[in-house]
Amino acid sequence: MVANVLEVAVAVGDHVMVGQTLLLLESMKMEIPVLVEIAGEIVEIGVSPGDVIQEGDPLVIIDDASDSGGGKDR
Amino acid sequence: MSTERFLGAVGISRMTVRHGDTAIALGSGDVPVLGTPQVIALAENATITALAEHLDQSETTVGVRVELDHLATSSIGDEVIATATAVESTTRKIVFSVECHSGNHIIAKGLITRVLVDRVSFIAKSAAEALTRGN
Repeated sequence: MVANVLEVAVAVGDHVMVGQTLLLLESMKMEIPVLVEIAGEIVEIGVSPGDVIQEGDPLVIIDDASDSGGGKDR
Repeated sequence: MSTERFLGAVGISRMTVRHGDTAIALGSGDVPVLGTPQVIALAENATITALAEHLDQSETTVGVRVELDHLATSSIGDEVIATATAVESTTRKIVFSVECHSGNHIIAKGLITRVLVDRVSFIAKSAAEALTRGN
């Protein structure tokens, strides 16, 4: 599935909580929010508004080490 | 009648969305936004453009398969551009990768397959079938 990136709601360095909105995508004529599944710090954002993304593309990398002692999650 | 010569051919087609292109006007929905049948027609037109300069006069192609995701809406007045690239050919079939964009948004993406035919034979066969049916 292909999607347009409408909005990036976070920035590198932000600490995010589970359920918080990371991105707003548009696909199949719907706006689809991408929500945080693991709390942590945003260390990398791979997309910008206007980008076209494909299934499997990395969007945001979250480092959950400071919050739960774990590693990085996408 | 080989189709390998079409590989890599690229075509573009563009339109500005008018009232007659909307789902409500086309009967494919009840909202005043670009209807999916018109998106398909635009994408098919791009495939025709891609082949135009590669076909002999005796040849033409006919559409046989459309696989298209209509991803985003377009409103009246929006410009939509379709691009088609021939990505696969097998004997008489040509498969196109197609994309439709409006501004920096992708609004549709998919594959369209066409088949290479002899123009006169195809029209004659079609006419003969219509006569047989009594049309």
